[in-house]
Amino acid sequence: MIANAAEIRKFTILSWGWLTIIFGLVWAVSWLVGVAIPLLLANVQADWARLVTEICQVLTPLVAVMVFIPINAMFMVLAERRALALFTVRKGPNRVGPDGFLQTLADALKLLFKEDITPRGADAFMFTLAPIIFFAPSIFGALPLLAAVTNNHNLFQVVNLPTGIFYVLAVSSVPVVGIVMGGWASNNKYSLVGALRSAAQAISYEIPLVLSIITVCLMAGTLDVVKIAEMQKGGLLNWNILGGGALSGLNKYFQALAAGQADAHQMLSQYYPDWGSVIATVVLIACTVLLVGIYLTGACAEINRIPFDLPEAESELVSGYNTEYSGIKFAIFFLAEFTNLFIVSTIATVMFLGGGDCPLPDWLNPLTNPAVTQPVGKFFSFFTDRIHLIDPSTFFPAIWVIIKVYALVFFAILVRGTLPRFRIDQLMAFGWKRLVPLSLIIFVLVTFAKGAVRLHV
Amino acid sequence: MFDWVEQLFRGIWQSIVGLYEIRRGLGTVAMHALRPPTTEVYPDIVPPLPAHFRGRLALTVNPETGEHLCISCRQCERVCPDKCIEITAHKSPETNKLELIDFKIDHGLCMFCGLCTEVCPTYCIINTNDFEMADYTRESLVYDLKKLTLTQEESAYYFDRKENPLPKPKPAKAAPAAQGAAPAAAGKAATAEKPAPAGAGQTAQTKAATEGESAKEAETKSPDAQVAPEAPPKLSNDEGKSDEAKPENESGEGPRQG
Amino acid sequence: MEHLDLLRAWIPGRLDDFLFYLLAVMAIPMALGVLFDRTIIRSGFLLIGVFGSICGLFLVLQAQFLALAQLMIYAVGITLVVVIALMLTNPKLEKEAQPGTAHQQLGSFLVAGALFFTIYCALRSESWPLSSEAVSPDVQTIGMALTTTYALPFEFASVLLLAALVGAIMLAKAERAISDKEEPSKEAGEQNQPATLFERDTTVSSTRR
Repeated sequence: MIANAAEIRKFTILSWGWLTIIFGLVWAVSWLVGVAIPLLLANVQADWARLVTEICQVLTPLVAVMVFIPINAMFMVLAERRALALFTVRKGPNRVGPDGFLQTLADALKLLFKEDITPRGADAFMFTLAPIIFFAPSIFGALPLLAAVTNNHNLFQVVNLPTGIFYVLAVSSVPVVGIVMGGWASNNKYSLVGALRSAAQAISYEIPLVLSIITVCLMAGTLDVVKIAEMQKGGLLNWNILGGGALSGLNKYFQALAAGQADAHQMLSQYYPDWGSVIATVVLIACTVLLVGIYLTGACAEINRIPFDLPEAESELVSGYNTEYSGIKFAIFFLAEFTNLFIVSTIATVMFLGGGDCPLPDWLNPLTNPAVTQPVGKFFSFFTDRIHLIDPSTFFPAIWVIIKVYALVFFAILVRGTLPRFRIDQLMAFGWKRLVPLSLIIFVLVTFAKGAVRLHV
Repeated sequence: MFDWVEQLFRGIWQSIVGLYEIRRGLGTVAMHALRPPTTEVYPDIVPPLPAHFRGRLALTVNPETGEHLCISCRQCERVCPDKCIEITAHKSPETNKLELIDFKIDHGLCMFCGLCTEVCPTYCIINTNDFEMADYTRESLVYDLKKLTLTQEESAYYFDRKENPLPKPKPAKAAPAAQGAAPAAAGKAATAEKPAPAGAGQTAQTKAATEGESAKEAETKSPDAQVAPEAPPKLSNDEGKSDEAKPENESGEGPRQG
Repeated sequence: MEHLDLLRAWIPGRLDDFLFYLLAVMAIPMALGVLFDRTIIRSGFLLIGVFGSICGLFLVLQAQFLALAQLMIYAVGITLVVVIALMLTNPKLEKEAQPGTAHQQLGSFLVAGALFFTIYCALRSESWPLSSEAVSPDVQTIGMALTTTYALPFEFASVLLLAALVGAIMLAKAERAISDKEEPSKEAGEQNQPATLFERDTTVSSTRR
């Protein structure tokens, strides 16, 4: 049927295999640190036991992120290479391990054992500091998102901040300092030009990016990522991508219809009383769809991905700001780049795609039916209640988050396989003359349209 | 006055068109994922090479009898633009014919132009399909007679693939005993795993050389019938030339060697 | 922070102080480095570090929003642009700088001392009541304060920013006007292809205007 079924099957098996390893490890580590050790120490009445418990709970999110980032970057590099091979009618890396399963592991090992060179004339201290400044924000920036993607699990509540998304945006704007620092410290023209381009691009595209996120926060009325994710629960119509909750009245109406309530039509007229509210809803839907586009464009530019990868344009600058880096420092740059891609996809998932919400509305979803869930829940009660290995209220949202985030990552790979690189003046013109005005216009439109319709009823 | 309105709408329209084009591009690229890869998985599956592929040079033997086909005529040595072929031969005192002693080809110099294979009157030197000859030293790229000579089976394979005319059996003027010996030798070669005439020593080579000579004489008797229809006209010209040179061959070999 | 209660009990009452002094130890040498480092770009990066440490101080003082705004706008936004401007201007700036004469040094010392004294007096004139209550980190509170109590300073700040924007546009415009004036002479020369291409481009845009 499909001429390439064998390759697609290999790619799928490889992806699911890696994903199982990644999230299995993260799961095991966070369970061990956050649940198992406190459970063991629960009966000890000493002060030190309580202190260890506290420290374990504080450290759990950090440990989970630290375990997650390197393995995930390895998987994403491999997935990107294999997916690009699919798009360009090639086979991709398939020699190391079964079907190239261990290719990036071998690459990472090779990078770790390579000589770490500091070029002559370089500012050695800044040269070393740059990868750290580039990488550290991707660890700390992702922390508030942990609570949002695990449905506010007890273990990760610690890292939830009231300024959630603002924290993420602020911290994820720091890596550009690392790029400029590394480019300048390398004592290399190409590195410097790449770094300057990166800074100009990041500062320009941060404005539409932040404006699009702010617009969503304006509709939600909060900066807290967990609250924003919770608001969008209840199916596709509640998600921010479709009007930022303007359609949740329609969702309620369908639910009432499915339940066979007589006053369903009355409900509709209650949520959408006049034509103004209907127009506002349509405007909101158009605006939010555009917002997603603006966000993805800005995020692509912010993390220097094709078509905005001017800082490392191979045809003009050798490799851009990381030309002079080798060995483990280069590995850190590489790691952080792919982690940033994952983080912006996660932000998009939480802010626009409903976080860990199932796209099917509750009244259509058989999995939320108690007749189905109760026997299954009993079957797993040992894991859920005794050793707290599985928390069903976290497990299913996490699965949905994984699917959505990697779908966005796959989309980014598809864009990389399709679009050519921008020219620097086109890039600036597009950013300042198109995206910034467009996002400002949308911001004003949403401010007015928001008043005419009830969001997230 | 309303220029900016027009411009605004034009801009919006252009953005819509642009977005549609981007979507079309993404769709095209996504559809490419359904095509089977064109990658050659080379070390696992060697791609089929055409018969005229110009790989490593080699010397064939008579596929039926196992005798070496080289007659030490040095045409390949003369025509080689890189001067990478070096033939050592001497005139046998008994038969007054040329005997091949050594045949060296420096594959580090060779540019695989295939001129030597075109001038070879007996189809002895050929381009094989083998191209994996990477080595660690330059010296190991110089192949001697032992490394160059193919086995009987390989020779048969290349004669078949390149559709070269097979060498004639012994001419009629040779002794009947010798004629009887040829099939016997063929039978012996078939039973033996490696006929490898290179290691067979001086006498065998002398025999091979003389027999090659006589096979060529046989060819001269009916040249048109033996030339393969696919063979380029240049080849037949060469053969014609060698035919003309044939009578001098017995006496005038000395100056050609020098 | 309530999760750290026990940890705080273990180090009684000193966690905040410890963090404060740690950040101060980071910030003050970097601030001195901004002044005394001979490489001007290095001091630019050190300034980013100083702003980062001050962001940490705000976090210790429970002012999350302020800390993040500090990080995003001052540390990354403004200072980075300053550093880039330094990179784009003369890279040999530090070599041409000469130490001032004794006269100049005395003058600058006096000015700096007077400024320091003024600021010190201004700070001491205000009473700073110590309160144990944490200020609400709510963004809503900050927004309300900005649009009601502190509306006038807010507006002043916006006017200042507007002036800066207009100034930037004027600078860009001035360059454009000069290049427009220079056009005819270039056209008369008509020396190389790229120049004519560029001219054609600008003439089209000018007629459109």
